Amino acid sequence: MILTALNNYYQRLASQDKVPSFGFSSQKISYVLIFSMNGEPLQIADIRDATGKKPRPTLVPVPFDKGRASGIHAYPLWDKTAYAFGVAADGGERTGKEHAAFVARQKELFGVSDDPSLIAFLTLLDTWKPSKLETLPGYSADVLDANFVFRLDGRREYLHDNAAARAIWRQTLQGDVEAEGQCLITGETGPLGRSHPKIKEVNGAQQAGASLVSFNEKAYESYGNKGQANASISRLAIFGYSTALNHLLRRSNHNHQRLQMGDATVVFWAEAPDVKQAEAAESFFAAAYDSPTDEQEAARLGSVLDGIAQGRPLESLDPELHADTKFFVLGLAPNAARLSVRFWCASDLGQIVRHYVDHRRDLMLDPVPWKGVTPATWWLLRATAPNRNGKPNAKDILPQLAGEMTRAILTGSRYPRSLLANAIMRMRNDGDISGIRVALCKAVLAREARLGVYAPSHFQEGIPVSLDRQSTQPAYLLGRLFAELENAQRAALGKNLNATIRDRYYGAASATPASIFPMLLRNVQHHLSNMRKKDKGGLAHTIEGEIAGIIDGLGEQFPKSLRIEDQGRFAIGYYHQSHARFAKNTSTKNNPPQPEGE
Amino acid sequence: MAFGVRLHVWGERACFTRPEMKVERVSYDVITPSAARGILEAVHWKPAIRWCVDRIHVLKPIRFESIRRNEVASKLPAGRVTKAMKAGSVDDVPQYVGVDRQQRAATILRDVGYVIEAHFTFTDRADDSDSPGKHLDIFNRRACQGQCFHNPCLGTREFPAAFALVEADADMPTVDSSLQGSRDLGYMLHDIDFANGNTPRFFRASMADGVIEVPPFVEALA
Repeated sequence: MILTALNNYYQRLASQDKVPSFGFSSQKISYVLIFSMNGEPLQIADIRDATGKKPRPTLVPVPFDKGRASGIHAYPLWDKTAYAFGVAADGGERTGKEHAAFVARQKELFGVSDDPSLIAFLTLLDTWKPSKLETLPGYSADVLDANFVFRLDGRREYLHDNAAARAIWRQTLQGDVEAEGQCLITGETGPLGRSHPKIKEVNGAQQAGASLVSFNEKAYESYGNKGQANASISRLAIFGYSTALNHLLRRSNHNHQRLQMGDATVVFWAEAPDVKQAEAAESFFAAAYDSPTDEQEAARLGSVLDGIAQGRPLESLDPELHADTKFFVLGLAPNAARLSVRFWCASDLGQIVRHYVDHRRDLMLDPVPWKGVTPATWWLLRATAPNRNGKPNAKDILPQLAGEMTRAILTGSRYPRSLLANAIMRMRNDGDISGIRVALCKAVLAREARLGVYAPSHFQEGIPVSLDRQSTQPAYLLGRLFAELENAQRAALGKNLNATIRDRYYGAASATPASIFPMLLRNVQHHLSNMRKKDKGGLAHTIEGEIAGIIDGLGEQFPKSLRIEDQGRFAIGYYHQSHARFAKNTSTKNNPPQPEGE
Repeated sequence: MAFGVRLHVWGERACFTRPEMKVERVSYDVITPSAARGILEAVHWKPAIRWCVDRIHVLKPIRFESIRRNEVASKLPAGRVTKAMKAGSVDDVPQYVGVDRQQRAATILRDVGYVIEAHFTFTDRADDSDSPGKHLDIFNRRACQGQCFHNPCLGTREFPAAFALVEADADMPTVDSSLQGSRDLGYMLHDIDFANGNTPRFFRASMADGVIEVPPFVEALA
């Protein structure tokens, strides 16, 4: 399905002329050599993209037959300086052979043509000496080992775009047919391809590119087939899917169809009868999964998501989005010279949006721990990574966790259980009970409750979004109690504490409450009497009342230990209670203060 | 059909590997006819019969999961073994995992359940003592009792399949509601044509309310 969907996407792109046609490929080209009708080289022109800090080569569609590994293989009408001019940065002995191979190939392909540009080009090659390159105007040290194309002076097109050259090249491609068979992408019988082009620009893979379909070790071959013969795919289909995938992965400021989640590079595309519909779907997905860049987009996204949550159909919220647009998401992870598929999701836009809304509802916490409409997925994953030097590093995110979490968001299935375990572990180790980690705990528990994961006989309570004073869930109450005890300590000892009970006892309190809470409750009496001495009697009374209310809801004994789900509830209770305090403080500023002793 | 059988198979995990994604395995969405044939042959097979899968019923929703496993990169060459046999010593034979380790990811199916409808035909190695009734009876008896030559597997040997016979007059197990409607599954591997140089044959699979009609193998050649 993956390659078929990519091939179909290629057909759509080719009809819009966004990708090169069969036999051509977009390669990074830096310079043009301009030559005259007599075969005299005139100058070197720089066609690099100079908008960034460093000039970057531009992508130009050039004739391309197969990748160059370690052998000598010259390309027609373009190549790097070692092949095209016999000049290389390191000046090895192979350079001479490479240049000779280049000249031989051009003569073999284009020698019989009578097109004047091609004849002039061949004259240029015949009279070329490697020393001539430095004398040309426009030469600089960057020129060595860069890719060159050619242009006849006075013409606006490159030499390889010349009509005669293209015709000859297409003819050549029809030529060598090695094997015929049934293609597993298109189902048609036709010439099967032997080599698959490399997929470039996947983060973490080899610089030269990795392969999605490759059989580079003996253990991967079956039935005695060698190499690519293990997968019978026709040449056109190979070209189609690899060009589409490379196009989706290209690094450019205009490419919004590419995201990074953990170590996986995620690309996505839509298939719709109308091009505008497909593009609207793609931009909506980009806004949802990667935080939207500007205010307008964020507002639009928010209104669509809220509308879906209320059950309205997608078309009524945004006329350009259709629920039955087919949508594909592919996550690729690097594995040395290969790419592995982290996840693949093929469904329609309606389902994807609905699952995203479910995800947002499961995650929702009051007060909201993220800015903006919805949290970006990569930001959620970073909360599970340790804080090294105060900042979490994306490399520390567990790759399996990232892949499974994205799959859960896209398909609406259960979140990986390791998400809950990792979030709790992070909170215990860092002491940072941040809102986003609490939201992740809540999301896992809420989704399991919603999907009815456990049998109905097993007591499964819902998870409150905001502070629930009526809840009698013991772990939730213990979390709230812990927050109040910390509040008492802070109020008694002042704001500038090096370590509160949260830093010292959070882990033990959340895992084994029976051993910690009695001691904390003993100490809180000292803090309360301290507060009364310091003229904070009213505050002491409020806190005492709060603590009494919480303990009222608890059973006879503190639980000896809490299961992992209950530790999640503990964190949620702690977060609700501690942030409700802030909310209460801001509201008492607006309302008249309660009389003391109340 | 007179010689038709129905077998209900299920398992926790399955991997019906796509031929092109064989290294970093990606599974097809549903069982391939070739894997279904393998399960039937594990229960009962003789050189006289050849199983042909007619229809596949998908019972459970299609769910994927991603796992990573350490495997080795090379196979033991046959020449090394024959040399050791001639030389009479096994010093050169062993392969050590430590130097050959490769980590391979796999995207596999979770919680699968299928009902395979199939019939068998006779090959040219059948003789007078073979009759359709005889083989049908043997299969039904073995499937009822849970007998098999080797444990049937869902694609690869590490994912075993549990099987149960669906009697001729019994009801089919229910299909999950999420599979209602029609879905196009693209080109799927039908089987390998062992008679003609091990070439793979593909067919266009489409699922209607959880049922996939499998064309006869000869038609899949086109």
